[in-house]
Amino acid sequence: MGKKIYAIKVENMSKNFVIYGDKANTLKEKIIRLGKSKKEVKEVLKNINLTINKGESVALIGVNGSGKSTLLKLMTKIIYPTSGKVSINGKLTSLLELGAGFHQDFSGRENIYFNASIFGLSRDEIDKRVDEIIKFSELEEYIDNPIRTYSSGMYMRLAFSVAINVDADILLIDEILAVGDQHFQDKCLNKMLELKKQGKTMVFVSHSVSSVKFLCDRAVWLNNGKIQMDGKTDDVLKEYEKVCG
Amino acid sequence: MVNMQIFSELYRYREFLKTSIKKEFRGKYKKSFLGVFWSFLNPLFQLLIYALVFPFILKNNVDNYVIFLIVALMPWNFFNMTILQSAASIVTNGGIIKKVYFPREILPISTTTSNLLNFLITGIIVFVALLISGIGIGISIFVLPIIIIIQYVLQLGLAFIFSAITVYVRDVEYLLNVFMMLMFYLCPIVYSADMIPANFLPLFKLNPMFHIINYYRVILYDKQIPNMGNVFILFMICLLILILGYLIFQKCKKRFAEEL
Repeated sequence: MGKKIYAIKVENMSKNFVIYGDKANTLKEKIIRLGKSKKEVKEVLKNINLTINKGESVALIGVNGSGKSTLLKLMTKIIYPTSGKVSINGKLTSLLELGAGFHQDFSGRENIYFNASIFGLSRDEIDKRVDEIIKFSELEEYIDNPIRTYSSGMYMRLAFSVAINVDADILLIDEILAVGDQHFQDKCLNKMLELKKQGKTMVFVSHSVSSVKFLCDRAVWLNNGKIQMDGKTDDVLKEYEKVCG
Repeated sequence: MVNMQIFSELYRYREFLKTSIKKEFRGKYKKSFLGVFWSFLNPLFQLLIYALVFPFILKNNVDNYVIFLIVALMPWNFFNMTILQSAASIVTNGGIIKKVYFPREILPISTTTSNLLNFLITGIIVFVALLISGIGIGISIFVLPIIIIIQYVLQLGLAFIFSAITVYVRDVEYLLNVFMMLMFYLCPIVYSADMIPANFLPLFKLNPMFHIINYYRVILYDKQIPNMGNVFILFMICLLILILGYLIFQKCKKRFAEEL
């Protein structure tokens, strides 16, 4: 068996969230509550082991609160594991929350630059992509208007277009396909399929069975912070639907 | 290995670093009528007030008190603004920290650097004042960039420390306000270093900012070249503070998104 190159490797990883009844942020509160702070440790992910190889597209499925989004946040290093390890091999972009760094008073074009720079693109790289981003967003007419004049759909279209054109090796996508109209959703799915064919690695969180089937060969079912099942999309979906359908 | 990684990360995110610095630099006075002129007017008014209060009311007899004051006051303002703004830099950007990954170091670095740019530009006032007063500029000016670099290194280190700690204890922002008021009088700004009683002097000298402010005055007002051995020691101490600050920041940054 040839050894495959991993894109994401999660080893014995657990994540706890500390939930304070009422969080003490100031010194006064910290002193007053000394010794009697009510805190509750919640284990969101329990001993996760998961290897995603280069070029795979994997769906994370599970009910709300099963830890899917937390797992994505750990992969993108917004948060860090309590124990265990998450290793990433390659340039990673996450489409968890769209439009980070958008400024209401600036034009769509300027915001493309702000947003793409947060994803770690240089000016040259953005210059090269800007036309394609605008074309993909279908916002040519409005691109030089301030984005506070945009509708929420236009806003998301712009944000998605930037994120999808960043040219990462690994893409993390969190249920954002709910944006835009049917036409734009289809366009996004097709773009992602195209990226998949180019050999990009994708991790995709979605409640939409049809887009999961369309895009992913493998599915991982998270239940209560543990991996319940990991296998071919159709098999996992069949089992999942028996329980949660 | 870990330390090398941060440099390549920062290089990759250089465009974001650049836009952050620009945004902070321009954003400061964006909505005000006089705009960027405030960065000149502020220290000028401040100077005017001190220059009236100290010679006339407190009757000290330093030659050219305005110049004596301005060469120390401008670097002090640089210090003061950097520390206060950088302490808030992580907390005020909580929104994007929770949304996307980027090297968190960019936030304190861009606050410190945009203040450096502001200092370099408003520093023109000092040179204008030196020329008008007839004191002029001596050969010692060549040491000035070294002192500015030392100050920047120190401030970057402190910015790392305070920006990270403020996330966990929000009071730090307010405590710093009080602390900076005290600090102002612990540095030789309105008085000169040799006015301090000899038995207290060693205590004052524990403060790196004391030396930095004093060097500005030695170089610009006295037009003398300071003892370079001492300058080097000061540089090493500030570098140590930067490394320490960086390590503290590394320790704290992993929980930023959860604490904010």
